[in-house]
Amino acid sequence: MASNKTPQDPHGFAPEIRQIEQEIVEFFAEKSLEFIGRHPIVATVMTYFDTRRSLTQQDLQDLTGFSAGTISKSVRQLVDMNVITKETIPSTHKHIYKMEKLPFTSARYFLRTEKLLEEMEKELKEMKVTLDNHAEEMKDLKGYQKIYTIITQLLELISTTPMFMTLIDEEIGKFIKENK
Amino acid sequence: MENSKPRLIEKKLRTIEKRLVDLLTKAGYLKGRSRKFSEITAHIYIHQEVTQKLLRKLTGHSLGTISTTLQTLEKQGVVRKHSDPDTHEYHYELDGTVSQTLFRSLRDIQRYLYQMKEFFRGIEAKLSHPHLSRKKGYANIRQFLDEFNVIVPAHERVFQRFQTVVSDAKPKREVQ
Repeated sequence: MASNKTPQDPHGFAPEIRQIEQEIVEFFAEKSLEFIGRHPIVATVMTYFDTRRSLTQQDLQDLTGFSAGTISKSVRQLVDMNVITKETIPSTHKHIYKMEKLPFTSARYFLRTEKLLEEMEKELKEMKVTLDNHAEEMKDLKGYQKIYTIITQLLELISTTPMFMTLIDEEIGKFIKENK
Repeated sequence: MENSKPRLIEKKLRTIEKRLVDLLTKAGYLKGRSRKFSEITAHIYIHQEVTQKLLRKLTGHSLGTISTTLQTLEKQGVVRKHSDPDTHEYHYELDGTVSQTLFRSLRDIQRYLYQMKEFFRGIEAKLSHPHLSRKKGYANIRQFLDEFNVIVPAHERVFQRFQTVVSDAKPKREVQ
């Protein structure tokens, strides 16, 4: 028989605090999709990490009501995004997922983003070389011009990101210093 | 035999197209978007104008998924919808170039940051009731708000400075 019992809060949060937390989670689930296209389930799970920092998949199921499969997929994506890390709980086979710092204040997150952009740049440059080398033979093929244009524009955009990262670094550093 | 070279060249171009789709899909996934959403968006960036039928053919995703994704992209101002007078089929056109779309998304993030600030003001007011400060979980929400109170204004400044730098640099390296 299925149990009707509401799962206990994994960290024992008081109901009034839990209600405020839920408002925050709902805000990010809705607005992240609207403004940056982030999937509402990923945004929901991510926000629980923002407030709780350390959670198991079971905790997340209890907090969100999402199925085990949905939670498993979401935490995998957050690990891939380098937003959380996976650890094994000592003397068990269970895993715990941790967010050490909010992503935008974490050096590890930035390093990973920089590495990813470097990889993207390398791959785009390789594609551009192939297109340039075969320009004469390819220029009249369907889609050549569009593909060439988008690759050029992406390379142009990537070239502005180191400056963007420096600005983030500077501004966050400044605010942290001022608020110490 | 004579036809094999053009076929090889065509194949090379399609391979690049596929690599580009994969790369853009991965970038979207790593921003927290679903793979399906990211893949559909990637095809729109490349083709610039699509129909639901074409996206179905390119991605193999269901028409439901395609329609929901297009609705979201339309709301975000990434695509514009218009009806073909002959076929009455809807066409979805990328609104501007890829660079313009991505720079527009910077403005969206600024609007997002503004809404976050407004929202957090309400949360601060709720959390300021004295009886809450001893409740379990209060410290977590307090820490969350304190960190966001640093991150949000810092990012607002970053986007302002970034836009200034980019618009100052643009006339020098304007591309078509």
